[in-house]
Order: sequence, then C-alpha cells, then structure tokens
Amino acid sequence: MIKESKGIKAGERAAKILTFTALTAVALLILVPFYIIVITSFKHNTESMGVVFTWWPQEGFTIEGYRNVLFSDASGGGSLSTILAGFKNTLVIVVPATLLGLFVSAISAYSFAKIPFRIKNKMFSVLLATIMIPGVIMLTPSYLLYDMLGFVDTRFPLMVPGMFGSAACVFFMRQYYFGIPTDLVEAAKIDGLSHIKIFFQIMVPLSSSALIAQGVLGFVGGYNDYFGPLLYLQSPAKYTLQIALKNSVSTYGYDWQTVMSGAVIALIPTTVIYVFAQRFFIEGIATSGLKV
Amino acid sequence: MNATVKKRKKIKKEEVVGVVLAAGPLLGFFIFGFIPMVLAVFMSFMKIRGFSFDGARLVGFENYRYVFTDPKFGKAMLNTLYAAVSMPVSIVCSLFIATLLNKKVAGTKVFRTILFLPYVCSVVAITTMWKWMLNTDFGIINEILKRLGVEKVPWLTDSTYFMPSMLIMGVWGGTGFGIILYSAALGNVSKSLYEAAKIDGANRRQQFFSITVPSISPTTFYLFVMGLIGALQDFVRFQIMGGDGGGPGESGLTAVFYLWRMGFKNFIVQGMGMASAVSLILAALIIIITIINFKVSKYWVHND
Repeated sequence: MIKESKGIKAGERAAKILTFTALTAVALLILVPFYIIVITSFKHNTESMGVVFTWWPQEGFTIEGYRNVLFSDASGGGSLSTILAGFKNTLVIVVPATLLGLFVSAISAYSFAKIPFRIKNKMFSVLLATIMIPGVIMLTPSYLLYDMLGFVDTRFPLMVPGMFGSAACVFFMRQYYFGIPTDLVEAAKIDGLSHIKIFFQIMVPLSSSALIAQGVLGFVGGYNDYFGPLLYLQSPAKYTLQIALKNSVSTYGYDWQTVMSGAVIALIPTTVIYVFAQRFFIEGIATSGLKV
Repeated sequence: MNATVKKRKKIKKEEVVGVVLAAGPLLGFFIFGFIPMVLAVFMSFMKIRGFSFDGARLVGFENYRYVFTDPKFGKAMLNTLYAAVSMPVSIVCSLFIATLLNKKVAGTKVFRTILFLPYVCSVVAITTMWKWMLNTDFGIINEILKRLGVEKVPWLTDSTYFMPSMLIMGVWGGTGFGIILYSAALGNVSKSLYEAAKIDGANRRQQFFSITVPSISPTTFYLFVMGLIGALQDFVRFQIMGGDGGGPGESGLTAVFYLWRMGFKNFIVQGMGMASAVSLILAALIIIITIINFKVSKYWVHND
C-alpha cells in the first residue's frame, strides 16, 4: 500500500520534471531569437558580420548602433532621427484613435447591455455580422475614395475609422456590462441621472479593468500596424515607427548592428506594456478572441 | 393621465438615446466599410487608370477574365495555400504547449509570459529578426546547421527555401495566440469529467482524446476559421521579407500581394479595377469557407 503510493508520487514527479523540461525547451526557442537581436545590437559591426557567429561580443560591447539609429540618422528630414520621429508619429496617430474608439465602443456596449430600445437586437446582429467581412474588399475602394477626397498622405485614413470603435470591442464590453447588475442603473435613473452620467459615473469606474484590457490591445494593434501606413503615408516626415524600421533594413543594408538596435527600440514599448499589463492582455484576448 | 404621458415621453426618449449611443460603430462601418464594399463591386467591372474615376469605363467581366487566365494569379493562390500550412501546425503546437502550461509546474507564470511574447511584437520587428537569423552567410540558423555538418542553406534567396522559411517564422510568431485561447479553454474543462474518467479507468491519453479534445473543440474551430481567414489575406510579412518583387522567383507572391501590386504598383497598366476583382474573388472564397465551416462544425464541435 505505502509502496504503491510512493510509486505514484515518483511517477508524478517524473512527469512534472518532464513537463518542466519541455516548457524550458519551448521557452528557449522563443527567447533565443530575442537574445540574438539584442546581442547583435551591441556588437561591433565587424563582429556581427564575422564568419563565425558569436554568442557573446568578443570585441566588447558598443552602443554605436543605438547612437546611429537614435541620433545621427535624420533621413526623414526633421530634427529628430527617423526612428524617433516615427515613434512620435505613431503616438500622434494611435493614442487619440485608441482612446476615442474605446469610448465610442464602450458607450455603445453600455447601450446594448442596459438601455431598452426596440431595434436593439437587429442592430446588434448587423454589428456582429460585420466582423465576418474580410477587410481585403475595402482596400482598393477606400484608397480611391481617400485619394479623391485628398486624404492620401495624411493621418486621416489611419485615425478616423478607428475612432468609430470596433465591433469586437463592443462585443467584449457588452459581455462585461451584462455582469453588472441592472438594478444599479435603475436606481441611478430614479435618482435622475442621464444615461451619459450613469455611464461615466458608474459604469466606467466599475469596468476599468475591461477598459484597460481593450485599450492596451487597441494600442498595441495600432502601434504594430504596418499595412495602413504603408498604403497611406508617402512623405517621410509622416512615417510611423514600423515604416521607419522596415526602411532601416534597406538604408543600413548590411549594418546589422544598427538595424537590430532599431528593432530592439521598436520592441521595447509593447514588451514593457505587455509585461506589466499581462493580466489585462490575456483577459482581453481570451474573452474576445481578438487578434491584434 | 399626466403621469402616463410623462412615462411614455420618457420611454420614447430612452428609445432615441439607446439608438444614438449604440450607433457609433455601426455608423463607422457604414461609412468606412459598407460604402467601399459596394464601390468595390462596381470597380471590379471597370477599367480604371491611376486613382480616379476620370476616364474609367465599364468593361464587363474583362477584369475577372484577365485574373482567372493569368498564370500569376494561379501561382499566387498556390503560394497562399502553401503559406497557410503553418496554421494547422501552429494550432497543434499551441494545444500541446497549453496542455503543458495547464499542468501548473513550477515557473508556469514565467513560462506563460515568455511564450506569449511574440504575440505582442510587430510583424516588422519579427520579420527583421528572422531575416537576420536566416541570413545565408551570417545567420545563426546556418551556423547551427554547419556545426551539425549541413551545407549552407540559401533560405531567403532561393525559391525552394523561401516559403519554408516563412512557414518556420509563421509558426514561431503565430503559436502564442493559440496558447492564450487554449489556456483559457483548458481551464474551463469540468474537473468532474476527469474524475469520472479516472474511476472508469481511462488513462491519460484516453482522457486527453475523449475529454479534453472534444471539450475544447469550439476553440479549435475558432482558431481554424480565424487562421484561415488570416492566411488567405497574408501579405505584409512577405513584402517585408522578400521586397516588392515577391521574394526569389516570386515564391512569396501571395494573393493579397498580387492584388496590392496590381492596384498600387501597376496602377496604370493593370489598375484598381482589376485589383478590386481579385479582392472580390478572395472575399467570396473567404465567405464560402466560413459558411462551410459553420455547417461542418455541427458534426465535430461540441457546444454545451
């Protein structure tokens, strides 16, 4: 009897060790590429182009790559380097679009969850159906329309559509608002509060974690976007960070230490946000199945 | 009397407020989605030069005829399907990894943080990273292969190896999303099912295939549908990795890549009309696949 339970325990332990080893192996597969770009960014150029790959800089560390990418390169024509200007341009586009879009989606979700009106179900079904429509159809006509209206090479096509919110975000927030008791809304209505006031004074504070989750996802999606800026931005002064990073590969050709420095800088903001807001992230993705 | 009128007024007001507050995203879709969609249908029957309707004329099904007889379109579709192979591989990998994470060994939190990491990284950064690692002369991959006694592989410069390179990168970058969804799904599988199975003497493997896999089938279905829709529209990473030419021998020319070149690069000769025809063909394909998936899902997805 005792022997048997010991056998099971030993078996469980072996299984745990095996699981741990497998997870370590997979984690290494993910981490090694990140390690390689970080270590390459600190290598002297002669070494990164060396015949033998080195896991650790043999000729010592250098921050020349970072200096190139942050300070000396100004091919964008401004006072800032291309990467820094790109970072600024990205924030100018993404921050207002994300915040306003989040607000519009959330208040729409509140209405769908808590305000009774007759055509609610019809409106919601239409909204859900829009998720199924592949974005590729909108590519050519949108561009033509923007071009005719004079919005090509402006930030307008990258900002304004997002400011109307997104169906997926409405869906996520609506689920969340269903979880908040309707009695709370009814009580506030009796007290004479308007729906706008109920939303801001009661719903926003109660749903802050869900709002953060959606805000973070929206920000990361906008920050990482490449296709939109590729289509619509033409003058280098307006290039976003991702476009600047893509271009640095051709500008610096074989200067890999500089290219990798740019990549590391571009990855830092999303990685930091992710590590600190991991809980919100996973919650947001797991509940809505959103793809950034 | 007065009270009922007031009440009715209030209800009416609530009707209006409800619709107005809810309408934002639908209004956005109407302006930036519906109008362009209708326009795309018209454009696909037109010959358009450049980016304006000046001088555009109706050409009937000419654009569709051109696309369907263009050998490059066939090639682009085949390339797209080839690239889509990474999707089922990612799904299997992410299920395997999520199962390991679900065992809650020491350090699970740290592992989870690391494994989700590629998910938040931009396509540009990931592609740049792999471009360096797959570099024929200086890349780490060939360095490792050399130590194993394998000849240098021209990963990104040879048409045979270009797509396999993209597949490797696709699996590496695409597995995190599946892990997140599967982790959530595995956490929701009822413990009592496993208890019952244990009493019935089912081993781990039987438990996995007859309890776990059916219980998480909605997630698998979702990943499959979203993955397929994404794969049919895959383009950006190919343009970053292979340049505007579509990689060596156009081996990385996907369907959307083909469309983009037509409408945005060869906009005088081929133009937006033809590109719209391609986008409608793709959209039709995606919608058909989605509908088939929904029909078929009845037989293997367990919703309860």
